[in-house]
Amino acid sequence: MALYRVFIKGTNDKITLLQKFLNIVIAVALFLLFFFFSAKRLSINFDFSFLWTFRYRLIQGFATTVELSLVSLILSLLLGFLSAMANNSRILAISYFSKVYVQFFRGTPMIMQIYLFFYIVGTAWGVDNRFLAGVLILSLFEGAYIAEIIRGGIDSIEPTQLEAAKAVGLEAGQTLRLVVLPQIIKRTLPALAGQFASIIKDSSLLSLISVIELTQTIREISASNFAIFESYIFLGLLYLSLTFPISMYTRYLEGKFSYEN
Amino acid sequence: MRIELAGVTKIFTDEKKVLDNISFIEDFKALAIIGPSGGGKSTLLRIIGGLISPTTGDVFLDGNKIIFDERYLIQHRRQIGFVFQAKGLFNHLNAQQNVMLPLVNVHGYTKADAQKIANRLLARFGLSADKHKFPNELSGGQQQRVAIVRAVAVKPKLLLLDEPTSALDPELTGEVLAMLNELRYDGLNIILVTHEMGFAKKACDKLIFIVNGRLAEYGDSERLFIRPHTAELASFLNRVLEWGI
Repeated sequence: MALYRVFIKGTNDKITLLQKFLNIVIAVALFLLFFFFSAKRLSINFDFSFLWTFRYRLIQGFATTVELSLVSLILSLLLGFLSAMANNSRILAISYFSKVYVQFFRGTPMIMQIYLFFYIVGTAWGVDNRFLAGVLILSLFEGAYIAEIIRGGIDSIEPTQLEAAKAVGLEAGQTLRLVVLPQIIKRTLPALAGQFASIIKDSSLLSLISVIELTQTIREISASNFAIFESYIFLGLLYLSLTFPISMYTRYLEGKFSYEN
Repeated sequence: MRIELAGVTKIFTDEKKVLDNISFIEDFKALAIIGPSGGGKSTLLRIIGGLISPTTGDVFLDGNKIIFDERYLIQHRRQIGFVFQAKGLFNHLNAQQNVMLPLVNVHGYTKADAQKIANRLLARFGLSADKHKFPNELSGGQQQRVAIVRAVAVKPKLLLLDEPTSALDPELTGEVLAMLNELRYDGLNIILVTHEMGFAKKACDKLIFIVNGRLAEYGDSERLFIRPHTAELASFLNRVLEWGI
């Protein structure tokens, strides 16, 4: 086998584990070198030692981000499911309400929604707990995306599946439980897992209303010691440590359910 | 089994008359519904199976009137097996689970009993090796045979099939028709919509011929093939049998 075969994939070649490992190392190295030389040009000397001093605050912020994301995941799933159901409602006002909701939250920047809901809606209705307000805003935002994912899942159910359910004598409730829901779950799970990664990243925007999550913690630390580069590099690594496993899991789910086509 | 239709008419919401005053009485073991595409054959089969209701008219099976009301229809469907042209298996279940679902969730068998019944029937029709495969991993012919197994596992009094082989190549068509023939010898009553004239002639005792939503001719299949009474059937047979069967 010629050496170049290790690096070039033929049309019908299968990639071996060794090939995969070698080439991933090369890709990551290239990526890091770019940043290394960028830093070199500016003659920055990185010093990460201060992070240890702030370890408790960092752990606290990390935990808050995880907590915020998990609660928002559950709430946004609920909102997304309700909105997808409402979208198909025969009561037109409900159906359009769901469409307006999805359009508004998908069509405007989250930063605007955060300010609007925290300072106007939140103040008007007395929601002054920042964590709670953050969870609600994040859930509303992500719920709109999840509604679209679930709606796509519902639309992807072929009419023959429903006709077959009818033909074997299933009742409406059984059809939903035994045929429709399992198929929707299998088809939307990869996309929903991916959306969870988005929730984690998007939660960083809640630092704008001073929810003391991971990003806000780093902002505060870097404001006190001016180690901006080190702080934000470390911040990126922490977010990656959360989103990377989810991304791998999403890939795994996509492979597992590909038979569905 | 005796089937009687009295003035069955179906008009879809777009005002198109799909079935126009179909009336006949036949005693049959295997009844083939034939005719040009788009003539209303599948609609007629779905009405007999209780999947859709006629706009007007009555259907009787062995003298019992089908009441086109959802509460009654669900009972009616449970006594009948229905096989679709294609894609009738549940995508998220493997072959064995597809057969088991109606047994467990509609007919009240225990999981263990349902599994025994499913395995026995799948084995009988040469599908044992495929029982853990999902529909998209099965060939078209295997999918249809599993669909037939699912339909007959609940011991229906009548099996309805809507062009069960029209999506298959000739070899796979052969394996599905052989299976149907075997079930027919078991005494299962069959009504099928088909373009397989050889099967309609040799394996079906009765035939009805539908053109543009009208019943043009019906009777013993032997007779219809040899001495068609209407010019429409004669010309239809001429066209479909041009290259022999």
